Amino acid sequence: MMILQAVADTARTYRDFPVIGSRAAVWITAEIHLMFAAFVLGVPIFAVVAEGIGIFGKDQRYDRLSKEFTRLLLIAYSATAIWGALLVFMLSTLYQPLWAYLTRIFGPSMWLYAALFLFESFTLYLYYYGWDRWKYGRSKIVHWCLGILLNIWGTIVMFIADSWLTYMMTPPRDITPETSPATIKIWHAIMNHTWMPINIHRLIGNVVFGGAIVGAYASYRFLAARTEEERAHYDWMGYVGNFIAMSALIVLPFAGYWLGREIYQYDQSMGITMMGGFMSWLWVIQAFLIAVLFLTGNYYLWVGMGRIPGSERYRPYTKWLLVVLVIGALVWGTPHTMIADSRELAAMGGSHHPLLGALGVMSAKNTAVNLMILATFLSFLLYRRANIRQVVPWAQTGTRIQGAMFVIAAAIVLFFGIRGYFVEAIVRIGYSVYQVGAVLACIIFVTILDVLMARGAQSLGAIQWGKMPPRSQYALFILAVTFTWLMGLMGFARSGIRQHWHIWQVMQDTTPYAATPALGYAAIMISTCVLIFLSLVGFIFWLGGLAEKSTFVPSTVEAPHVGH
Amino acid sequence: MWAINLRILGVVLGTLALYTLIANKIPQVQSEVPHALSLGANVTPEQLATAGDQLYHGAGGCTACHGLGTRAPNLLTDEKGQGPIGSRCGKREAGKDCKAYIYESLTSPKAYVVQGYEPIMPEMGRILSPQQIWALVAFLESNGGTVDVSATDIPAAPAASAAGSPAAASASAGIAGGSADPMTIIRGAGCTGCHTVNGEGGKIGPDLTHVGARLSANLIRESILLPDAKTAKGYEKFKGVMPKTFGHQLTGEQLEALVQFLASHK
Repeated sequence: MMILQAVADTARTYRDFPVIGSRAAVWITAEIHLMFAAFVLGVPIFAVVAEGIGIFGKDQRYDRLSKEFTRLLLIAYSATAIWGALLVFMLSTLYQPLWAYLTRIFGPSMWLYAALFLFESFTLYLYYYGWDRWKYGRSKIVHWCLGILLNIWGTIVMFIADSWLTYMMTPPRDITPETSPATIKIWHAIMNHTWMPINIHRLIGNVVFGGAIVGAYASYRFLAARTEEERAHYDWMGYVGNFIAMSALIVLPFAGYWLGREIYQYDQSMGITMMGGFMSWLWVIQAFLIAVLFLTGNYYLWVGMGRIPGSERYRPYTKWLLVVLVIGALVWGTPHTMIADSRELAAMGGSHHPLLGALGVMSAKNTAVNLMILATFLSFLLYRRANIRQVVPWAQTGTRIQGAMFVIAAAIVLFFGIRGYFVEAIVRIGYSVYQVGAVLACIIFVTILDVLMARGAQSLGAIQWGKMPPRSQYALFILAVTFTWLMGLMGFARSGIRQHWHIWQVMQDTTPYAATPALGYAAIMISTCVLIFLSLVGFIFWLGGLAEKSTFVPSTVEAPHVGH
Repeated sequence: MWAINLRILGVVLGTLALYTLIANKIPQVQSEVPHALSLGANVTPEQLATAGDQLYHGAGGCTACHGLGTRAPNLLTDEKGQGPIGSRCGKREAGKDCKAYIYESLTSPKAYVVQGYEPIMPEMGRILSPQQIWALVAFLESNGGTVDVSATDIPAAPAASAAGSPAAASASAGIAGGSADPMTIIRGAGCTGCHTVNGEGGKIGPDLTHVGARLSANLIRESILLPDAKTAKGYEKFKGVMPKTFGHQLTGEQLEALVQFLASHK
């Protein structure tokens, strides 16, 4: 690293990358590194939670699930490190002025980053290779703690890397182009406006991503399974992956609101560029992708209810849930303020569409997404309750209370959504907190009631794991591809709002690639990155399959629902 | 097994193709880089206005807010019966001509927030070079008014800084043409938009008429360079409003003249 910095200090010129150019080269390298980083940060969270459920729930299947994924992590770590090293080479040779500037400020944290990556790797080796040695009693708890330690290292590593990229977006306001990087205190640079919001957003995003990749892996193994038992295991694994991905996805928009608010507070023009400037169409694409995620996730659940005895009672409701989801997706995808030329503005009769413009504002969009979250939660609830009959004496009252909670939450969401049209923007922004609060409160209290009502419930029959039509498994693939593509798109949004600045209003990008490209070009780049990443992940899965011996542990207990 | 692999590949490629296709079917807007302007001594008002037009509709990013009628005032069309900006700019601030008003609105926008709008506009001095800002002034004047920006208003383009920043480029130019007269600097920097000095100016910020009795010269200097470092009692809610760009807008001579002038007002 010192040599690289020395090279950067002496040369400080931009260089070009053959054929595809510097920007595309760094874009691909950084994006694939980030995707692998999300994989190796998200899957350990998944693994340690699964191992914990296995230990405390005394269910061996979760332990096997956890180990299966930890084995894949070994190879994925190498891939992350290789792409990370490539990124450092690219930045230090192609973008030397930027690299010299960043190393001048963040040099010590880069050393710490490298050291922690080593700790993380060795903790992972210990965690995986000690699996069978520390399998019982207290040593199993110690092993589980190793998994927690692995996640702590990983989280710190991510926080450090986040400080570099958030500094580029939102450098503290007292730093100007004349400020020498040597005089900037590292902690001052780290504690910039968007550091913590990005940390939290990525932490949750990694869980979503980890769950989606687990789901895709399970679906592949399900489709390739040769025995009923194997098919049942991977059906269950796919369900767990989808459950975790969708549960974390529900929380992700709230972290996104926080990040967006911090961007606006830091620099209104940056926020406007992001939401209403040249990036405004990006949010229409994002809305489409989120709609695909919600619809596909719910579709998987609805198809899955086919393997649950007793689920027939709830099937009539699914069509109404579908109506809510589709209407919600259409509203969310309605554009508001678009960059348009004078001819387009004249044709539209103004900067907003006369009819649809009313649906393009945040009041309508927040209402739509909150109702979609409620509908998805209701799908989960119906799935959970499909094969049981509550026996507690207050079951009917409890169900009515649950229904009332849904109605009240939806009414609050609608009330503030409509009222938002009649108040100032600054008041309207605050309404989203009430809407989110109502939905979260509904989710929490309805879940608590449901758990209490399920005590001693009569079973209508065990879930027939493995009895899933193949189309449901392809839905899991679509989820994984869409999550990965969405990650690439949001990465473009985050990075692109800096426009022609390496470091916002401090250091200008003076390369021929300084202009931020349009969405069409960005989409081609994102798809390329996703394809390379998924191909490599497929290769890792294949390697994992090669290394796997027949370690199948037959289930000794009836397969429960997640959360039971 | 091959059939399954092919089907999975088809699902993955089909999904990617769909997203890529949709993203390519929508309007393609690229964020442009504001190109450096090299304006000669014989630049005409028309040339300035044309350069400003390109900036306004392109890399300046002005149209993201101005012209929508919601986020910021209309500039090129009528605004509440007052006509376009060129016809109303001279009436906005008493004693301030159109050119000065537009220039200061671009460099210190928070001092001139139009009633009914939020203070969301960035300080364009951080984003554009002085040449680019004067080109914008000329363009805005040309919309309903007369362009009176000339080459003498525009400081010579300095050599590119190491960071390549336009804001850095403005460092040696100074405010108000580099004048050393404190009151000219105060007016040129737009201080009177918020502060009162000798009975002249606004009341958004603290009255500076007797500032020397309250603050030492060092504290006055710090308040100009780092306005948020300390906030005067009773003005906490305006923290962040004062521009932080004076450190690289004023020349060293101007800064010292200003500090000594204010410190002597006891």
